[in-house]
Amino acid sequence: MTAAALPGFPRPVLRRRELSLLLAVAGTLILGSLSLGLTRTGSLALADPAGLVAYLGALVAVHVALVVAGRRVDEVLVPAVGLLGGIGLLLAERLPQDLVVQQVGSATLGLASLQLIWLVLALVIAAVVAITVRSDRWLRLYKYTWAALGLGLLLLTFVFGGETNGSRLTLDLGPVSGQPSELLKVILVVFFAAYLAENRVLLADARVGVAGRLTLPPAPYLLPAGLMLALALGIVVIQRDLGAALLFYVVFLCLFYLATGSKVDIALGIGLFLVGFMVLALVFPHVRDRVATWLDPWADPLGTGYQTIQALHAFARGGLLGTGLGAGLPMIDGHLPIPAVHTDYPLAALGEELGMAGVLAVLGCYLVVVARGLRVAAATADDVRALLCAGLALVIGVQAAIIAAGNLKLIPLTGITLPFISYGGSSLLVNGLIVGLLLAFSDRGPAPPVEPRRRRLGRDGA
Amino acid sequence: MTPPGTGVGLRGGRGERPLGGRVVRLGLVLALAFGGLMLGAGYWQVLRADDLARDPNDAAVIAAAASAVRGRILDRDGRVLATNRRDAGGELYRVYADASLSAPLGYASRLYGSAGLEAAYASELLGVGGDDPVSRALAKFRPPAQRGDDLRTSLSLTLQRLAVRLLGADRGAVVALDPRTGEVLAMASTPTFDASGIANPATSRPAFAAARDDPGQPLLNRAIQGRYVPGSVFKIVTAIAGLSSGAITAATAFPQQPAAESTGLLVSGFRIRDGHHPFTGSEVLDFPRATEVSCNIWYALAGLRTGGAGMDEAARRLGFGEPIPFDLSTATSQLTNGRGPLPGGFMDDVELASAAFGQGEVLVTPLQMALVAATVANGGEEPRPRLVTAFVSPSGAVRDVPEGMLGRVLSTADAATIAAAMTRAVEGVDGQRFTSGAQVAGVTVAGKTGTAQLGGTGEPHSWFIGFAPAQAPTIALAVIVEQGGRGGERAAPLAGDMLRAYFAAQP
Repeated sequence: MTAAALPGFPRPVLRRRELSLLLAVAGTLILGSLSLGLTRTGSLALADPAGLVAYLGALVAVHVALVVAGRRVDEVLVPAVGLLGGIGLLLAERLPQDLVVQQVGSATLGLASLQLIWLVLALVIAAVVAITVRSDRWLRLYKYTWAALGLGLLLLTFVFGGETNGSRLTLDLGPVSGQPSELLKVILVVFFAAYLAENRVLLADARVGVAGRLTLPPAPYLLPAGLMLALALGIVVIQRDLGAALLFYVVFLCLFYLATGSKVDIALGIGLFLVGFMVLALVFPHVRDRVATWLDPWADPLGTGYQTIQALHAFARGGLLGTGLGAGLPMIDGHLPIPAVHTDYPLAALGEELGMAGVLAVLGCYLVVVARGLRVAAATADDVRALLCAGLALVIGVQAAIIAAGNLKLIPLTGITLPFISYGGSSLLVNGLIVGLLLAFSDRGPAPPVEPRRRRLGRDGA
Repeated sequence: MTPPGTGVGLRGGRGERPLGGRVVRLGLVLALAFGGLMLGAGYWQVLRADDLARDPNDAAVIAAAASAVRGRILDRDGRVLATNRRDAGGELYRVYADASLSAPLGYASRLYGSAGLEAAYASELLGVGGDDPVSRALAKFRPPAQRGDDLRTSLSLTLQRLAVRLLGADRGAVVALDPRTGEVLAMASTPTFDASGIANPATSRPAFAAARDDPGQPLLNRAIQGRYVPGSVFKIVTAIAGLSSGAITAATAFPQQPAAESTGLLVSGFRIRDGHHPFTGSEVLDFPRATEVSCNIWYALAGLRTGGAGMDEAARRLGFGEPIPFDLSTATSQLTNGRGPLPGGFMDDVELASAAFGQGEVLVTPLQMALVAATVANGGEEPRPRLVTAFVSPSGAVRDVPEGMLGRVLSTADAATIAAAMTRAVEGVDGQRFTSGAQVAGVTVAGKTGTAQLGGTGEPHSWFIGFAPAQAPTIALAVIVEQGGRGGERAAPLAGDMLRAYFAAQP
């Protein structure tokens, strides 16, 4: 090996672990595609060879780019995310293509083609961010700017938001439309990482007695926490988006715990949210209806409870091993049993076709992504960086958990996406950005110079 | 900016400790949450998988209904009760042997879904879903079934038709079953509805509208969904409670009873009146005699002696208080409305005394009362009622549905005591005054009539429960004719006709 890299260019670093994991992912996805093709045509053929090749090519390209760039970043994140994205792509190929149709130039693209485009773009973003971002100064120094930007986005959605599935999630600005809450989650993590790191001593140790042994941080420093609570509840009411509210709030509480280590504060925070939510449920009919549908979807099996019930049936039909890709989701009069399966219920579809085994595998993949992110956080000595990494990893993990729990009727259904699997451009691009940031911050710095090979000497040295 | 994480040991405040430990703890919490999600997946995909995937409203079952050939439904002798025909467009639709089967079989319609056995066994009839994970996994490699299983039922088409014909224009229900096995021989509910009409795409809409809008509510299966005041047939439940709790014996007699026949029995300031058996005069009745003449005063006193708790316990053993496990969903029979402060939910002793002879707040389903008769007939052990006895696959493989018992309700000796009293109620000199209609030449019948007073001026419901032959019963039944008058006038003769037809067909 030679250390004589060209001046100004990094020395390539082989990523053997990533490569072998990517090979396993490729094998899995090829098997999945064969299984789907077999169900479709009855003969052994890939379901959509071009799409699969393009996607696997994109994964390999990310790998090669990271190798060439020579950054020593995490080697598990890309394969884990690649597997999730690939499963999402298989699902998109398997569903009716007319679920989403967009005219791009002269071409009419269906669900799978669009999902592939967004996935590849997300991978590009992840790679570019992983390779180019070397410092987090631009994130931490302008935290109030970021916060203002986030609030602005949110207000815009409050005012101009278009309705999707009864929630005001989509922002249409002429040719560009998207779901700002997806970007907002990153901005909030950046702001809170910077804010909490700066104030953690005050929040944790300058406590004010409230009652008995209960102490709280001094009032001025609690303000952001209170704002966060209000923001979360406001999103529930105005945006009708319980999922985003839960996500923001849970991630905030997690970061608060990391910064202060105070379990009491967290318990208090959870309690306040629950109480606030109950009050909202009493006051606002749409919140109440959501809760009622969750508690007993069978009360209105053909109306409000329809999707929930159909999703549970899908899980049940899947059983342990599933029906196989393409063999589930029976069509009734040409319609899918779950209309919003590609955005809100991908886990139910996977539960039917891949069975409980598939659900466990997918959930396990998310745990791997979170674990890698938390590893980066734990290994960082710098508070802002640690909170930032933990927050970004948690955003993915908590979001996956919330929508999975909604699919499984453990909590009311929410309209957020299953990261990397649900259809949705904003979601995929932002999650790509998160992966890119996690990769960039996992950089262990330049490799130590290779020591010249010497003859092994005795213990006491020469 | 100095990294504060390195400032360990300066003051040791929580705000200055490094984050690593907390990150690990947080990761563990999140892992636990994911563990919860996995348990949730296990709940729906393993524990609840079967009942959801077999539900008639399951998308796969509905999808199969459009393509697969529904299995037939057969009676106990192999006669076809339900089969398929093709409409002009070549699509299949259901045809039923006749309208008398509408209550147990229900219907299967493209437009209106399904009901009755057609709904309860939709997945088997359509061949959807295997019975265990292994065969379900193997099923992935086989082409989907073109045809579902046939259902073999315990129904006798002959008895079913007869029951509906005997109920005639009246509203009512008949449940006949084999007390040894719980096999339901007939389950009639009138008025019936035109199930074939609902199933036929050409007549679906008008036929369903007619059934839905009929004031007689034919879509209600009265045999299992109707809840009626039982009147004196409930005295058998009181007898079961009294004897099994030891509160009464066959010899139990109440000295105050003869006088109370004329003056009424004073309970908590309220007079319970009787008076329909003046011929017993000053005779102090024991249990068999009181049952033979259906003495309300004796049973009120027996109920008071047994107490609310004893009555409640026996009723629960019989299946009151929750739906009876059955092929079709049943309404819940009740001893009281549960709102009273006394044991068993009685408001006061007046309600308890009235309940003892089947008034008060007692409400029963005909199936529940048929099971009461069957329990006595079967020596005190209550059979689990069932309609479907086997599934027959298109290849001819037979999968039997195991029979079972609901449990022992009372001892064999106590059951024999009640059976003897019920025999006197039909065959005894005084019993014949009420119940002669239930007699069958050459067969000893045991039974009890009931005349359920509804308040107001309307005719009472006419009830009969019983079994035969009394020595070794092979059939038990419950008959109710809504506003059919006294039990002996309408229900008992109807039961007699059913029993005659049943025994005439026996070899």
